[in-house]
Amino acid sequence: MQLLLFNAFNGLIQGVFYALMALGLALILSLNSVINMAHGGFLVIGAYLAYTLSPYLGFWGALIVGPLLAGVIGLVVERGLIRPIYKRSDPLYSLLLTFGLALIIEDLTRTIWGAQGLPLEVPDIINSPVSETYFFITGYRLFVIGITAAASIGLYLLLRYTLLGIRIRAGTRDLETTAALGVNIYKLRALNFGFGCLFAGLAGVLAAGVLGLTPPMGNSLIMPSFVAIIIGGVGSLFGAVLGGLLIGLAAGIVTTYYPAASEAVIYLMMLIVLAVRPRGLLGEEGLFE
Amino acid sequence: MTAILRAADIHTFYGKSHILHGVSIEVNEGEIVTLLGRNGAGKTTTMRSLTGLTPPRQGTIEIFGKNTTHWPAHRIAGLGVGYVPEGRKIFGSLTVLENLKVPPARPGAWTLDRVLALFPRLAERRSQLGRQLSGGEQEMLAIARPLLLNPRLMLLDEPSQGLAPLIVREVMAVVRRMREDGLSVLLIEQNAPLSLSIADRAYVLDDGRVVYDGRAADLAKDSDLVNKLAGAGSKAVRQSA
Repeated sequence: MQLLLFNAFNGLIQGVFYALMALGLALILSLNSVINMAHGGFLVIGAYLAYTLSPYLGFWGALIVGPLLAGVIGLVVERGLIRPIYKRSDPLYSLLLTFGLALIIEDLTRTIWGAQGLPLEVPDIINSPVSETYFFITGYRLFVIGITAAASIGLYLLLRYTLLGIRIRAGTRDLETTAALGVNIYKLRALNFGFGCLFAGLAGVLAAGVLGLTPPMGNSLIMPSFVAIIIGGVGSLFGAVLGGLLIGLAAGIVTTYYPAASEAVIYLMMLIVLAVRPRGLLGEEGLFE
Repeated sequence: MTAILRAADIHTFYGKSHILHGVSIEVNEGEIVTLLGRNGAGKTTTMRSLTGLTPPRQGTIEIFGKNTTHWPAHRIAGLGVGYVPEGRKIFGSLTVLENLKVPPARPGAWTLDRVLALFPRLAERRSQLGRQLSGGEQEMLAIARPLLLNPRLMLLDEPSQGLAPLIVREVMAVVRRMREDGLSVLLIEQNAPLSLSIADRAYVLDDGRVVYDGRAADLAKDSDLVNKLAGAGSKAVRQSA
């Protein structure tokens, strides 16, 4: 029982990272129509910038500034590289572009910070186990869950109640009509891409506190995050979060009984969802069926 | 009268298909101008060219004295050009109120309160999702939405499409009301008799070219010409003639 709880909780934490990544990916996919293969790169950028800044800003400052900078870099990348290819309606262009970008970011990281792993120091106050029986429930892990919940709720409130959020939702449904009503969709898409990258950066800083930093750290998170979107339902942000948590938990639980299958179970789940309900758990009808 | 919209010899393409072959139209201040023609004649394409959604490859468009030919859609809207697209294009997953908040409000007489006062049904259903509205209510919302831009020119693409006669009359009353408020209107209609009855001038498009250009009242009298050129909606003219 203890082992099951241990693995399930590990899985849940992993799922939280998937959920954060999937949230940003889903935002970018729905408004920018870009399958952002460089999302793992923005995670790495957020994490390494936080690492570099933490001696000056402390962990807390770095936790805020790292993701923000990842978002700003995302904005610049959107403006310089992605915007020129919106005209080409084939998604292949942005897929190839961001794939190339992912490789460049990974190698740049290796060049700047070195290939060996680095630790991100986490303040003691949030790093001690909460109880001895449940030693794996450290304060930091609860903190990761809390921050992710806060960020997700923040995004929900933004989309639900602000003019910017209303326009992002409108643009997601019908970009052309949104533009014809006077909304600067170029700015809207740039901001949205920036938000998506901010979430990747946040996932990066939080993950660095658990797993440490390595240049390819984004790679192991990005594929499951795509799976999370497919399971949760393309077009549904809540679905992306749910999908991330579900596959994380499932992988954790399966580890207890049959560790070798812990990764395969994610793809098995995707297979089942695609066969039974192609739109995903919360996705809208019509996108894939 | 001064032209506030002037399209001169525009050629517009969808990919490789050449849709508009040198269309020239004008709308003067305070006028209602209707654009008639069969399905596929290029009416919607003309409007998409004017709004910047499908910019022309040749020719020029001037709106309020500015050369907007290659402006992005949002900049053209920002000049005070309201657009009611074909098929209404309501944001179905947004509430009525949210739909009205999409256009960045420009200062002017049209405020949210005034728009809701003009469309009491929308005021009643303000918290409902766009997709839960009836066709008539959606049309009202599609017209109300660009009013918040405080436009000086309204482009309406088939506002009566698929609506019951009673609602169509209501829509036309709103169009007349816009003119009383000093707006200029360019109106696309399948129902030629209906739009000729409220328009000052008319253009008839056929195969991407302007084949008639003149006073609406004159065209309304010439039912043969209407029948020949304006297609489906002209049946009513023949019956009444």
